[in-house]
Formats: sequence, C-alpha cells, structure tokens
Amino acid sequence: METSIAEREPRQKLQQLKGGKLRRFWNNKTLLLMCLPAVAFFIIFAYLPMPGLYLAFINYNYSDGIFKSPFVAFDNFRFLVINGDLWRLSFNTVAYNLVFIILGNVLQIFVAILLNEIRRKWFKKITQTLMFLPHFISAVLIGLIAYNVLSYDYGLLNSVLESLGMEPVKTYSDPKIWPFIIVLTFLWQSTGYGSIIYFAAIMGLDNEIIEASEIDGANAFQRIIYIVLPWLKPTFIILMLFSLGGILKGNFGLFFNLVGANNTALYPTTDIIETYVFRSLMTNFNFSIGSAVSLYQSLFGFVVVLTANWLVKKASPENSLF
Amino acid sequence: MSNFKKVSALLIAMIMIISLAACSGSNNGKNDNGKNEGKGSTNQTDGNKAGDTSKFVKISYVVLGDKPKNGQFEKVLAEVNKRMKEKINAELEWKWVEWADWQTKYNLLLASGEAIDLITIGTDWLDTWGNAQRGAFMNLDDLLPEYAPQTWNSVPEEDWAESKYNGKIVLIPENDYTQWVNHGFFYRGDWAKEAGISEPIKDWQGIGKYLQYVKDNKEGVIPWDAVAATSTWGGYASSYTDQLELPISTGYLPVFTTKSFDEKFTVVSPVFEDTFLQFATLMKEWADKGYWREDVLNNKNDNRSALRAGLSGLDQHHTQTFGGLRVTMDKDQPGSELQMFPFARTGGNNLTELSITHGGTSVGAHSKNPERALMAYDLIRNDEEIYHLINYGLEGVQYEVKDGKRVQPEGYDEAKDAFYADFWGGRVDKFEIPSVTTWDQLETTLYAEYDKIKKPYPYGQFVFDKTPVEAELTAITQVTGEMGPAITYGKAGDPAQAVEQFRSKLKTAGYEKVMAELQRQMDAYKKLIEG
Repeated sequence: METSIAEREPRQKLQQLKGGKLRRFWNNKTLLLMCLPAVAFFIIFAYLPMPGLYLAFINYNYSDGIFKSPFVAFDNFRFLVINGDLWRLSFNTVAYNLVFIILGNVLQIFVAILLNEIRRKWFKKITQTLMFLPHFISAVLIGLIAYNVLSYDYGLLNSVLESLGMEPVKTYSDPKIWPFIIVLTFLWQSTGYGSIIYFAAIMGLDNEIIEASEIDGANAFQRIIYIVLPWLKPTFIILMLFSLGGILKGNFGLFFNLVGANNTALYPTTDIIETYVFRSLMTNFNFSIGSAVSLYQSLFGFVVVLTANWLVKKASPENSLF
Repeated sequence: MSNFKKVSALLIAMIMIISLAACSGSNNGKNDNGKNEGKGSTNQTDGNKAGDTSKFVKISYVVLGDKPKNGQFEKVLAEVNKRMKEKINAELEWKWVEWADWQTKYNLLLASGEAIDLITIGTDWLDTWGNAQRGAFMNLDDLLPEYAPQTWNSVPEEDWAESKYNGKIVLIPENDYTQWVNHGFFYRGDWAKEAGISEPIKDWQGIGKYLQYVKDNKEGVIPWDAVAATSTWGGYASSYTDQLELPISTGYLPVFTTKSFDEKFTVVSPVFEDTFLQFATLMKEWADKGYWREDVLNNKNDNRSALRAGLSGLDQHHTQTFGGLRVTMDKDQPGSELQMFPFARTGGNNLTELSITHGGTSVGAHSKNPERALMAYDLIRNDEEIYHLINYGLEGVQYEVKDGKRVQPEGYDEAKDAFYADFWGGRVDKFEIPSVTTWDQLETTLYAEYDKIKKPYPYGQFVFDKTPVEAELTAITQVTGEMGPAITYGKAGDPAQAVEQFRSKLKTAGYEKVMAELQRQMDAYKKLIEG
C-alpha cells in the first residue's frame, strides 16, 4: 500500500523529500521533462496569444498592426446583440453542451465498467477498437455519411422505409428531430475515446480492495456501486470541470457538416454560436468582431468554471481544481 | 529512445517559439525600421533606388486557383524567368491561393502581414476596398510613373480614378480586357426544341416551362440539380426590375441596389418590393413541382458535372463560363446546343459593362521590393512574348496559332500538357489570341446582343465606407444567410409569411440605418461625379 500511494501521488512524494528546491527539482527531472511539452503548448497557444484579445476592442488595420489601430471599446460586440439572437444561440450552445457532457460522461463510465467486467481478452480488445474508431472519422465525412443515409430522394433510410411500404421521411426539413441526430452522432463518435480514460482509471484501482470485497461477499453490482463508482468520482469531476470551461464553445465541425451551411430550415434547433458567427463573418472577414465573440465565449466559460469549482469545493473539497 | 523523445519535444517547442517570434517580427518590421528588416533571403538589398537592378530579387505574385500539378507551369515560368532575369534581374514566383476555402485564405494572407509583392485583386469579389480600408495595399501614386511607365501611360486618367481608395491609387485595373461576367441560366437547346421552345428563352416563365418538360420527359434527369450555396435572387431582380447592383456585399442575398440607370444615385431595396414576394412564390412553386431535389439545401452534388453527364437540365453562371462550357458540352453531349438566358435579357435596361476593377493587381503593404515588382508587372502586361507565355504557355507545346486562332498542337494531351497561370490581374485585348476552346459564335450572339443594351458601369469610383455601419452590415449578412437559402429554394413554408419575417428581421438588424448611410455616401458620390 505504502509504495503504491507514493507512486500515484507525485505531489506527496515531493512533500516527503527533504532538501532545497533545486534538489527537489533535480529529483523529479523526468516528471518535469514529461510535463514540458504540455506546458510549452499552453504557453505558446494559450498564454502568448492573450494580448491578442485586445483585437476585440479595436478597429483592426493590417498596416497599423494590433497596437496602433484605433480603439473602439465595445463597438465590436454590437452585432451580437442587434438581432436579439444572442440568447437563443447561447441557450442552444449551452443546452447541447450540457447534454453532451452529462450523457457523454455517463455513457463513457458505463462502457468503461462494462469493458472492465468483460473477462475474455480478445472480445474486450475488439470492442475497444471498434468503439474507438469513429473518433478518427472527420466531421466532413460524417456529414456526407449522414446525408447518404438521410437524404430524401436517394437516402438509405428512405429506401428501406419505401421497400417496407412506409412513407419516406423528410429528415432535412424537420428541425425537431435534429437534436437527437446530433446528440446520437456525438455520442457515437466520442464514447469510445472517452471511455478509455475511465477504463484507465479503473485499471488503477488496487486489486486487493476488489479481492477483499469479494471475500466479504460483495456481488458484481455492489462492487461497482460501492467501489468502482466512488473511485471514478475524482476523474469524473475533473473531466467535468474541464469541459465546463468550453460550455459556450460549440462543436463547429459536427454541426456545420451535419446540418450544412445552407439548410436554414433547421436553424431553430441547430444554430449555435459558432455557425452563426461563421455565417456572419465569412463574407465580411472582420477579425475584431471575431475576437469579440471569442472573448465573450471565453469569459462565459471562465465564470462557469469558477462557479462549478466553487460548488465542488463546497461539496467535496478534496476534488476541486483550485 | 526516451531521451530522443525528450529532446525532440524540446526542439519542437523551441522551433515554435522562434517561428512565433519571427511572425511578430515580420508584422512589426515595417513600423520599426522602414524596410529591410533582416528576414528571408530576398531582402538583402539596401535601398533599390530608381530602377537599380544590380541586386537579384524574387518577386511573388499571388493568384487564385489550384496549383497545376503536371509540371508544365514550372517549365513555362522558367522561360518567363529567363527573360525577367535578363531584363530586370528578377525572378517571378507564383503563389497559389487554392479554391478550397479561398476567401478565408486570401484574406488571411493579407492579414498575416506577410511580405507580398504582387497580388490579384477584384473589387466586386475579393473585397478589395475592404482590404484597402484595412491597410493591406501599398499606395502606388509615386511608384507607378517611375517603375511601370508603360502601364502608367496606357491606362487613361479616368481609369486610374477608379483605382483609388481615399484619393490614393491602390491597384492597377484590368481596364483593357473584354469579358462579360453577367449571370444567367444555361439550358439545353435540344431539349428546349423538343419542348416546343424555338425562340431563345427570355424570361423565368420560359425557364419554368423548359424545366417542366425535362421533369415530365427525361427519366433520371433532375431538371435542375441546384446547390443552395448560391442564390438566384440577384438574377431575378435584374430580370424583373431596372435596378442596378451595387458593389456592397450583404452575404447570401443582395439587399441594396439602385433604382435604375437613370436614377443611379437613388438607393432602393428590391427585398422590400413586391418583386421579392413574386420571386419567393415562384421558387416555392418550382420546389413543389420537383424541379430540384427535395434536399436541395443539403445537396453537395456538382451541378456542372451533372449537366455534362446529361443528368441535370440547367446550370447557372456567367457568360464567360458559358463560352467555354458550350464547347465542352458539344463534346460531352453532342447535339445538346447549350444556350444561355442572361438574366438581364428580360428587362433589358440594366446590363452594365464589367467594372474595370473586377480584375487587377495590387502591391502588398509589406512588400520589400515594390519597385522591382512593378517593373515585373509592366513586363507581364506589355511585353507580348512574356504575356503569351504567362497566359497561354509555350508555343508548340500548349498551343499553336492556326488561321489567327489558338489550337491545341498535334498529340496534345490534356493531363500532361495542360497549362494555366490564372493571371487575371491585367490581361489586355491587344495581345489576346482567340481560342478554339471558346465558342466561336459567342461574339455574334451574346456579345452582339449585349452591345445593343449595355450601359457604362457607373460605380467605378464608388467606395462604400463600411465603418459607421459595420455591426449592422454584419447583422444583415447573418440574416440573409439565415433565411436566404430557404426562401431562394422554396423551403421556407408559406412565401408571404417567410418574406414578411425576413423583412422584419432585416429591420431589426439595422437595415434602415445602413440604407440611410448608403444614401448619404451615394449623394456625396453623385456630387463627385456630376461636379
């Protein structure tokens, strides 16, 4: 037990070590080096570009550059509110993401547990691979596949329906069914990938605990409910907090390719901030307005993460991020 | 192995940081220190004074199109560069903005602050005024007379006047090249004849009749395998009103026009007139009759390929495209006798000549060698040998001249020998050689018809300053994109209701404010033109 905790928790190990900071640094050089690419990634792609957010408040001029272009305060945010669409868009985006996050995680945990219970190795591997594959299919292809299945005149679905003597359905003119199609597609694509993370977490569960529970007479369900699920809780919370940050950032590729750029009949239920902005700015190509939107999304996400973290801290302090 | 990984990760991180620093360096290079900030190999020159060609430089030219892959382009460019090297000690380098997502790539290239020497522009399709407003181009007033004297002298004063933003010349217009890019429907002459349509079609009812015939009689053919990416509303408006289009983009549908050629300074909006309701109603009718696919809004088919394969009965594009397509269709579908119904034929009062800035060339704001770039441009445009190389390729390989016409030489293989440079930045009629791949009756039919009704382009010098209404214009663009496709292809339910909703959304988006601003600037333009 002793050693396994020390291995799992590098932070504790750090605290146990005596000596100066430099020495601790040196002792953990491998771990730190392994962090480096990730740290570099965030510095380069997340922190260094931050001054660029200033773009949202200026009227950007190519030859003057970012810091010499005229300052216009909140002018760039105006177009978002003029139409009064901001509420509908934010609602759609948030609602979709909430469903994605909650259903997605629940399903991933469910699948991970199922995988863990499978005893035959070859079956487990094949299942894993098959579920993992959709992750690698690009959204453009998914859009094409969906079109070939759902298209009214030549789609697979309608061919089947007609051969069964049923009425063909006009999928692409009915906004009501699209939330289901989009959510299903998302789950199909992400479950395999996400379940790997939970599966890995389950793998880290000490076998001795499981064995002890078996000796005490716990059945499979009790084992899952009292041991595996609580064990997954921290992973779940962290993943949840991470995804909440992007709650106002839509999955542009998925929506754009499934719904298409021109199918305006479906917009009431499928329009999210990204597709809206894409439509508005493709012809005008205004960087400043684009930055304004992205700033709005990021700020919103920031507030949501802070709130969620605060709630988590109240409920179970040891699992909060900060 | 793990050591190798660590080191390579570190390396990558370092490369990223360095390249990032380099990028920002190039952005600020101009502001910091004039020119010649040490970067790249092309800019070692120390001040290119008055035609000084002692230092060898490379000049980039940005064009739109997919990079040719058969190696012919490189061969031709090498020939061109032999002459360039000899005459001005420079070499040209073509940079292709490929068609996939070209708008974004083109604009990003300008925004990146990269040192571009020459670049294709187009005020009506490449947002050139917008880019000029954002400071993407260099002012050429002082450079032109000195470094491109032939071009400077051959372009008349009034054409330079149309090349100015804020009183400064920012582009060289393609002012001496005849082409018609007015849009219309292409339909098959053989099928029209079968349908009992013997006269050229002159209105949308005629097209409707033709489509119905195709629907009823041509098994397996979609009358018009339309793709919803473009709207025909502009076409309908030019058929059934006398209004003139304005060079102001409102996205999917044109919202603002001017009343007529006689009242060319009065801004109106056809969307708020009965014409729009008629259009919406007609399109709903066409949709319900099944002239296009039920899923037209999601259709990703290539209609032109379908037409060429005999699977679609109609296409929509401009006269220039028709000229080439007619020849192709005569080959693909012998006897098809492809015809064009130009939208402006119906009313006949609003066909304007092409703006001379539909094509043209500008110099990038961050160019390191604007002098040499202009010298090179002067040669492309005025040296017949170089002009023919760049536009047609090598004589004997890509083309031969027979009876004053360009023909493909014996043994010409399209895949192996095809050549194009997509130079649309200053073609001139005097060097053009007619080609057999353009329909030989184009001039006697359509061009002759156009010549009878054409009007001079009145908005050459009109540059709309979007700044005061940027937000409203963006909001309007969004509304046209949100509702336009469904209305254009009859998928918006009851047309009257849809049109009403569309209008009210436009109003919320600030339609009236843009209209007022546009009229204000148009009044100022009127003063400028009429003195």
